[in-house]
Amino acid sequence: MKRTALIAMALAMTAATAPRALADGETIAVLTKNQTNPFFQAERVGAAKAAADMHAKALQYVPTQPDSIPEQMSQIDDVVTKKPDAIVMVPVDYKAMIAGVQKINAANIPVVNVTDRSAGGDFVAFVGADDYSIAKATGEVLLKAMGGKGDVIIIEGVRGAATAQDRLRGFKDAIAEFPGAKLVDSQPGNYQRLQAMQVMENLLQSNPNVAGVMAANDAMAIGAMDALADANSKALIVGINGTKEAVDAIKAGKMLASGDYNGFVQGCIGTMIAIRYLRHEPVPKKVTQPSVVVEKSNLGPYDVPVDQRSCPTWDQVPQN
Amino acid sequence: MTAAAAPSRPALPPELIRLLMRVAAVLVIGLALSVLSGAFLSVVNLVNVLRQAALLFFMSSGLTLVVITAGLDLSVGATIGLAACLAGTVIKSTGDPWLGVAAALSVGAAVGLLNGMMVSLLRIPSFIATYGMLWVLQGLTYTFMAGSTVYGFPRGFRQLGNGYLIGIPIPVLLMAALLLVGTLFAQRSVWGQQITMIGANPMAARLSGVPVKRRLILVYTLSGLTAGFAALVFLARLDSAEADIGGALTLPAIAAVLIGGTSLFGGVGTLTGTFVGALLLTLVLNGMNLLHVEGNWQPLVTGLIIIAAVWLDLRGHRIRS
Repeated sequence: MKRTALIAMALAMTAATAPRALADGETIAVLTKNQTNPFFQAERVGAAKAAADMHAKALQYVPTQPDSIPEQMSQIDDVVTKKPDAIVMVPVDYKAMIAGVQKINAANIPVVNVTDRSAGGDFVAFVGADDYSIAKATGEVLLKAMGGKGDVIIIEGVRGAATAQDRLRGFKDAIAEFPGAKLVDSQPGNYQRLQAMQVMENLLQSNPNVAGVMAANDAMAIGAMDALADANSKALIVGINGTKEAVDAIKAGKMLASGDYNGFVQGCIGTMIAIRYLRHEPVPKKVTQPSVVVEKSNLGPYDVPVDQRSCPTWDQVPQN
Repeated sequence: MTAAAAPSRPALPPELIRLLMRVAAVLVIGLALSVLSGAFLSVVNLVNVLRQAALLFFMSSGLTLVVITAGLDLSVGATIGLAACLAGTVIKSTGDPWLGVAAALSVGAAVGLLNGMMVSLLRIPSFIATYGMLWVLQGLTYTFMAGSTVYGFPRGFRQLGNGYLIGIPIPVLLMAALLLVGTLFAQRSVWGQQITMIGANPMAARLSGVPVKRRLILVYTLSGLTAGFAALVFLARLDSAEADIGGALTLPAIAAVLIGGTSLFGGVGTLTGTFVGALLLTLVLNGMNLLHVEGNWQPLVTGLIIIAAVWLDLRGHRIRS
């Protein structure tokens, strides 16, 4: 505790006397939602990379039970007692964690909000991608490949989850742009591969002529892909997340495209902002990643394992 | 071993009636669906339903024996998660599906053996022992996978989940085989009858010379083993595994057993019942998909149908007695 305080004081003095100097050794606590989704794994790797690049240290906090509100709450208690220099945080729930953010604010630890936007609390900045635009852009790629016409099925995420609602809206709005296309059914697959496969098998019975499938994540897209292949259906499929598995399927021509949500880059940028803020360098209040849809023509950069990627330079960070 | 001192054989007729009531519930749902949706009664759809039910049945089969002994195994889903991830990784790194099969089955059996020892030797209540095990397994799986997905298995191995033999999906044939062997074991073998006795009256079982501890260990080991087997079919069917696949599976597996008429208090239950339970749960999802039930309503509809099916069955049972 004392040492951290001393370091902080030293830092503050260095910063005051020589604002351009490179301060080293800050600790950044990184709070993510779960250990199961590859997205957050990529985000943690990105955060650790950015911290290492800037000679700081990332400390990871992940609930053992996926997306557990009480667990993240008690992790915040721990973090606040340990007083890291800054926090990078994905709230497990955008409303329920406001109380936790307020605790961090009360302890005067700067915090950057990443991926899921908190409904309250004071943040240095928000870094995220917009589910709605990604889903819409991904849906448009599918519909264009379908020639703008034909039957479309949507496989939704978990009803009630903000991400699922926004992605569903994006998909539906994309379909609305193409008068020749028709949404014949939209059913939840709860972000689970097995359920998506079974739902697809079932839906193929009542909609054998489906020409395109939009799934709210890649795991479901690939589950649906297998069901379609079993039924010798030629329907095109898109998913969201740009996972390695989806990139492989796109490369093999089995899947059309995947909306890129890029957890790795979000982790990088969130951590870069936190450290820059500590070093009194200018930071944007909000960074929204542009929607990129990974297709066969542009999958090069995504065909690299997460731990071999490098963070963008500060110049490459979109400032908006 | 003193041959199971005649546990006044579980009265068959009422059991049979209860089973028939459940089959009737499935038929009613099936009939309603075939009236409401032209797609339901197609051969392809019925084959799909059976194949979907098979996965659930594999998980629930060993679990049925556990519940018959008045125990519970909450670790089946987590066992499937670990076994599938391990087997998948083994197959990917060695290219040998048989090593993957060995990995999944031995992990499953080992987990079950540990569960059985905790329950029988350490006398930890099964709910707690297997709930603790669930967390241990999840932790191991999460650490092992570190957020990654293992995918892309050899064609031969995938036959286990995707293949057909004489026009019938292989998982369905495997389910039929397991149902037959399991039923013979549970109802005709001495060990099977001892297992029922333990559930009905553990004290009487012990006094009449049933090696209670060894049978309990056997039952939990079988539950782990069938979970390991389910993991293989899962892997072959989905061509992939990630750390969190098990979480969503445990409750439906338990539900299939209980809907199938196996009593949580032990001593009563059949694998055919569990098969019917698995079929009923699968039909509900199939029906909702075919009838375009809106996503927000699906959990509610699922809940109501489960409650209604079991209530009707219990009512029928009470009226008779």
